[in-house]
Amino acid sequence: MITAEEAIKKPLPAPDGDTAPLWAGLHEGKLLLQHCRHCHNVQYYQQQLCRACGSDELEHRAASGAGKVHSFSVVHRAPGPAFKSDVPYAVLLVELAEGPRMISTYTGGPPEDVTFDMAVQLVLEKVSDEITLPRFRRA
Amino acid sequence: MPKPQRDTIRGKVAVIGIGLSPTGKVPGQSPLALAADASLKAIRDAGLQKAEIDGVLCSHAFASPFHRFSVALSEYIGIAPTFSNTLQVSGATAATMFNVGAAAIVGGLAETVLVAGGDSLLTGLTPDLALRSMTESRDQQYEMPFGIPVANTFAMTVHRHMKEFGTTAEQLAQVAVTSRQHASRTPGAQQTKPITVDDVLSSPMVTTPYHKLDCSLISDGGAAFVLVSAEKAKSLGIEKPIYILGAGECYTHEHIFLMPSLTVTGAVESGRRAYAMAGYGAADIDLAGIYDCFTGTLIMMLEDLGFCKKGEGGPFVADGQMTYGGQTPTNTHGGLLSFAHSGMPGSLFHFYEVLQQLRGDCGVRQIAGANLGLVHSLGAGFATNATTIFGTEATL
Repeated sequence: MITAEEAIKKPLPAPDGDTAPLWAGLHEGKLLLQHCRHCHNVQYYQQQLCRACGSDELEHRAASGAGKVHSFSVVHRAPGPAFKSDVPYAVLLVELAEGPRMISTYTGGPPEDVTFDMAVQLVLEKVSDEITLPRFRRA
Repeated sequence: MPKPQRDTIRGKVAVIGIGLSPTGKVPGQSPLALAADASLKAIRDAGLQKAEIDGVLCSHAFASPFHRFSVALSEYIGIAPTFSNTLQVSGATAATMFNVGAAAIVGGLAETVLVAGGDSLLTGLTPDLALRSMTESRDQQYEMPFGIPVANTFAMTVHRHMKEFGTTAEQLAQVAVTSRQHASRTPGAQQTKPITVDDVLSSPMVTTPYHKLDCSLISDGGAAFVLVSAEKAKSLGIEKPIYILGAGECYTHEHIFLMPSLTVTGAVESGRRAYAMAGYGAADIDLAGIYDCFTGTLIMMLEDLGFCKKGEGGPFVADGQMTYGGQTPTNTHGGLLSFAHSGMPGSLFHFYEVLQQLRGDCGVRQIAGANLGLVHSLGAGFATNATTIFGTEATL
């Protein structure tokens, strides 16, 4: 069980063996996607195997940063104390130009601006000495 | 009508005992206390002694420190079962306990299985911590840093559904209105005051498109059931055993961004498997209990479980087809939206209602001639889906 004190802190990713390159890449200004050399599947979620064909021949390539809003929801009631000062904010399900989808949040304008299939562009936001979060603005 | 799959668990296991703890706001009762209360009621309802329980299946409780809830519950009520597990597939856990319990009985792992759950989300956790504990089930690297509550995953699915099929906020609201009408006749329901579509639409926005009244409750409560083989039910002289006719499950993704389609869920396959086993179709179902964590969730499930065509869930609900006199009365107890939602046990209340209806014990809420009922549990932004179909002796 978590304490009230812990609940006030915003959760930050703790990179692990699978995700260290992703978070290091973001910190260096690139959103790294895994491209399968075998079947050309592209994945955002970092793992040791291609989800489509099982090959372990995965290659990191930087995403263009272009995408569109597949769906979204504007949060008015925060999920716990950590996000209370941020509301309202738009959580986005972005479909990247390379294919994979990812969860992010809208930046650079009021959440009311967000519409379905709106073109968006990656914005990197440094939130700690180790972590940079990928967010999106209107393209 | 498709041929029932008689080489499966179909018709071989019966529910012979049902129990419900106090529900809603129940201060001073731990998750174990609530589950134990329901369990002893279910065992008594079955006419058994607790020592006759040799299998225990439980859901996890947010407000309980016990990871092995089924083991802790057994200790709490003073039994030493020889089959036990605490299952965890979020909101779908309820149906999986029936499915797994039935398989354990048919496979000879246990003879008399207690299915139980209890949690105190309302009084055992502060509201912020209750929400936070829900969000902890989301991915800590890819989802949580963006402040995505589990509500948000469901919101994004129905939001896309509105865009693709023209489902309206008013149609979503109608689910809340109908559920409230149902709850007004259910003893122990947490919210019974009538509401209108306007009330729903003018309640505070939680996460678009969901207003406060589109969201399920936060509650305390538990429920429990006793399962035995059909032969044992007969030898015990059980008056109205309710048989498990079909079971199906489907797990399409873990992360919402890897959900294959936001508008077509794993309930399609989960339902298809359950119908195929039962040898019945959606049109045969007399009543349904469907996981309604949000109003739109229920609309999408009515479609994916085949009660109406894809994209027509909104009009189906607005046309009164989910209530008395309609095609498939659904959540006649009021559901998670108005009866109670105590986390993973929440879906057990749907089971309690459907089983009570099939026994003919629902009084003013009774659906005349209810013989075939479907319960669908789901969780984690449609990551987990599980369906169970029940029937009376007449449906075997």
